[in-house]
Amino acid sequence: MTASGSPARGSTRRVPPPPAPSIEFEAVSFAYPDGTRALADVSLRIEPGEMLAIVGQNGSGKSTLVRHLNGLLRPTGGRVLMDGTDIRPVHVAHLAARVGLAFQNPDRQLFAGHVSAEVEFGPRNLGIRGAELAERVALALAAVGLEGVAGANPYDLGYSRRKLLALASVLAMRTPVLILDEPTTGQDARGVARVQDVVARAAADGRTVIAISHDMRFVAECFRRVVVMRAGRVALDGLPSAVFAEAAWPELRAAYLEPPLPAVAGARLGLGATPTGSEFVAALAAGLRNR
Amino acid sequence: MAVTRLPDYVVRRPSGFYRSTNPGTKLAIAALEVLAAFLLPGWIGPAVVLTAVLATAAVARRLRGLATFGLAASPIVGSILLVNLFLLPGASDPIARLGPLAPTWSGLWFGLQTIARLLAFSSAIALVYLTTAIDDLLADLSRRGLGRRAIFVVGAAVQMVPLTIERAGEILDAQRARGMDTEGHFWRRARGVLPLAGPVVFGALTEVEERTMALEARAFSAPGRKTLLRVPLNGRIDRVLFWAALLALVALVGVRLAGRLG
Repeated sequence: MTASGSPARGSTRRVPPPPAPSIEFEAVSFAYPDGTRALADVSLRIEPGEMLAIVGQNGSGKSTLVRHLNGLLRPTGGRVLMDGTDIRPVHVAHLAARVGLAFQNPDRQLFAGHVSAEVEFGPRNLGIRGAELAERVALALAAVGLEGVAGANPYDLGYSRRKLLALASVLAMRTPVLILDEPTTGQDARGVARVQDVVARAAADGRTVIAISHDMRFVAECFRRVVVMRAGRVALDGLPSAVFAEAAWPELRAAYLEPPLPAVAGARLGLGATPTGSEFVAALAAGLRNR
Repeated sequence: MAVTRLPDYVVRRPSGFYRSTNPGTKLAIAALEVLAAFLLPGWIGPAVVLTAVLATAAVARRLRGLATFGLAASPIVGSILLVNLFLLPGASDPIARLGPLAPTWSGLWFGLQTIARLLAFSSAIALVYLTTAIDDLLADLSRRGLGRRAIFVVGAAVQMVPLTIERAGEILDAQRARGMDTEGHFWRRARGVLPLAGPVVFGALTEVEERTMALEARAFSAPGRKTLLRVPLNGRIDRVLFWAALLALVALVGVRLAGRLG
């Protein structure tokens, strides 16, 4: 078995990711070396297989928080627990087998000479070789629609496709926890649909999916739990219908966030909490029927 | 109404000893110190320069920053000492015999003197860097008539260093997040990090190219005289120091060429 818990060589069967761990931030604080306090007493529990979106203005601590999950940052106060175990002594290279993180800027992630080598990089580091490696690369590229450019140089692709390639390179690692930092930035409607599909498939596989996003529509459509961060603290935490409900708007505005359009339209028309387009249409249709 | 002084939120003026000295004056002083470190004979050059630089840094509260520069130079310092200690040509006064190797007194002496010169030279330049905002330096060079293209080249080169360090850190983080082992033994780390050098350099060059285009899009090359947003102070003391440093520099070179020193 490899560090990821997958058979390393020769197998061609589709190997599901190992079971997702429970995650707990226990009064986590973090300050950068220049003294900037990025997290202040954050306590958060994430259950295995949960779909969680973290939103907040720039500098609110979202990226800092998720970088604690794979050990790129270590808390200056508090603990991060995975399945009840403090991950402080665990090396980043070992945590990478459990937590995959797709960075916001693909150009700070991509480095290989061609697309398939870029996607191979992560699984290779986890000890995957041979047929399973080839299969992982092919499936990851297909998941983001890049199967036709496996031999291309990543820098010959446009920004949105480089971003999808960065996502594929993390998908191929089949980590039980998948973190996406601003996955829809720079994507057109088709690209956003691809990302939504990736999130849905990962959730169907039982993986924990955590996304950082400024795209409230994407958050409302795809995630079952939304955490709003402000000044390094958790300001709101709940279902999209609760976080985007009219009662929470003052808190959202304090975090420089706007609720998604269907939520605003639903509230204006007295239809209740309608964070997604389909919920708005359903509530509107029901309202018209009842008139 | 004419604006006589820009508010602090547009341009924050440097304050404090030496930090508020005109950047061009500091450059002239540093140039004099660099030449003095190399042209004055024996230990005099490095001793005088190091004393001046350390005293200035202490009063300007930049000693810690200077110490960091010193630490960064330690691999070069170590190699200079070792090479001279064991391999100085013509040295025949061994300190001891270590098998086939024989460290020599003259090698040790010459190595230490070379290190002192190197530290004096680099700390003089480092002090300018530690006490001057790069924008102030570029603005002052521009005011003194240095061409805009030359200023851009200097600015891009200086600003590339922190940008490249930041970029390298983020690229390294992204690869660690994909399982690259940077916490194992040395060779494993080196093997993992080396392939990342290409994207770091390539990315930095791309960034400079984008910056060039952004400048061109804002009429960087337009003909005619331009006004400066930042005009560093250049008081009487600054001007006296500037010319005194330049005169001393010319005199030093002249005396050296005339063969009066060492």
